[in-house]
Amino acid sequence: MQITCTGCSCLCDDITLRFNGEKIEEVRNACRRGAGIYLHHSSNMAKPKVDGEEVELEKALERAKEIIADSKNLVIYGLDTTTVEAQKVAIELAEKMQAYIDDCSTFCLGDFVEMILKGELPTATLEDVKNNAYVITYWGTDPYNSLPRHMSRYTYYPRGGKRQRGYEEDRYLVVVDVRKSHTAKLAKKNARFIKVDDDLELIDAFMKVMNGKAPEKFADDAARVIREMKKADFNVIFGGLGLKYGLNGNYKPFIELTKKLNEISKVYFIPAGFHANMRGFNETLFEKTGCVNRYSFREQKCSNDFAFSRLIESNAVDTALIIGSDPLNSLPFDVAKNLAKINTIVIDPRRSFTSEIAKVVLPSAISGVEQSGTMVRSDGVKVEVKAVVEKDVNDVYLLKDLVRAV
Amino acid sequence: MLRFGKFLRKIEVEVVVARNALQAEAADAGKFSDDFVDKSAVLYISENFAKNTGLKEGQIVRVSNGERSVKLKVAISDIAPENGAVMPNSIYSSYLSDFSSFKRFKAIIEIEDGKQTTPDEILDLIET
Repeated sequence: MQITCTGCSCLCDDITLRFNGEKIEEVRNACRRGAGIYLHHSSNMAKPKVDGEEVELEKALERAKEIIADSKNLVIYGLDTTTVEAQKVAIELAEKMQAYIDDCSTFCLGDFVEMILKGELPTATLEDVKNNAYVITYWGTDPYNSLPRHMSRYTYYPRGGKRQRGYEEDRYLVVVDVRKSHTAKLAKKNARFIKVDDDLELIDAFMKVMNGKAPEKFADDAARVIREMKKADFNVIFGGLGLKYGLNGNYKPFIELTKKLNEISKVYFIPAGFHANMRGFNETLFEKTGCVNRYSFREQKCSNDFAFSRLIESNAVDTALIIGSDPLNSLPFDVAKNLAKINTIVIDPRRSFTSEIAKVVLPSAISGVEQSGTMVRSDGVKVEVKAVVEKDVNDVYLLKDLVRAV
Repeated sequence: MLRFGKFLRKIEVEVVVARNALQAEAADAGKFSDDFVDKSAVLYISENFAKNTGLKEGQIVRVSNGERSVKLKVAISDIAPENGAVMPNSIYSSYLSDFSSFKRFKAIIEIEDGKQTTPDEILDLIET
């Protein structure tokens, strides 16, 4: 059967697998990570729990309803690995409870998605990139590890449209990073690796070259990249976490750079990184509230103060409902320590670090393996994912039950 | 050539936190498995950095940031910065970092005995 992989935001739709009715025996075309999700789909499964004790699902669900109904300040968090359908129900629950809602994009690439949705950065689809892009810049991202098929399926390596002569002639690869990552090692012929310590210095160098001035640093790199971009009518920058943290919240110089680059050529921006449906969460919340994350239904606005980590650090919430995310794995210790002190309910198909400290654990279904639905690729394209075996108890089922109860 | 770094007990290093496909695969398979610990509790350093500091492949080191520390296994890799280190994105790097230094932080390395820190040991610290 052919399926769409939910391992990362590439959402590759050419995966084939052999399923014997009980076990997935073979996966083809997927990257190592994608294949792992299918081959290990039945390992490390979460069990319904209340206060660390294994119980029947109904009992865990009842306890979750009580905790949510009693909560005065609820935050709903995660949702980046589940479907748009589940995200909508979670937003409905947040609205009903006048709660906060946030996802990993707050400390990941949500700011870039917001700039795209507000029209501040010009964007394109991955198919456009495949068919047209000449200069392909990976800035602060290592797709070799985070999006393993990004370059082979959508960007640098495939031939398509106007780019029929192969990557060595028809693409120009630029990798910007603080270290020589696996992706940077691919920058050989018709390519350039630019090692940065401060991303703003490179932005400054590009701006100076375009303004006819000589930059103090990166003079040769910046001049060459600008010269290459001028050769084509379609270039793209893929921005990752390295770029986000390099800019440290100061996005204006980067927006100015993309505007200036678009005066000399066509340069598009696509975020690169993140979980399978992070962009889906950003777009779904944006449609409802005008914000991509960090939203309070009580205050009717988004704010840095409503970021999940900030709420937990400042003890502003008494209950956290965490769906398909493991903040104990990904957030700093101070956040993890405070999270362990409040009522935490985890909805997750797998046992996670956060499920170990949760008051209630509700096992759900793995999107794309046990639950069908809609997801949004990193470039904003909606993709339908179909389960290998549809499970009755999934994120939508559990969240709808919670909504009904409150 | 004498490499004085070899004789230093404490080595200061900048650590970059990055995704690693093999580690992500191990996380999906099970975060409480030995494979997850093997692929997450790792400090990647360059060959040059290893030569200058005397650190060896497979050695256990204590990596500290302020008052928090974990024991990691040294791995020599060409993806590590020339004079720095790389850690996979996991409970170990999260334990050592805060939001002011989320994906890049300064740490102290010391040679240690024993085994890598387990996720359960970090969970105990979170819960106490």
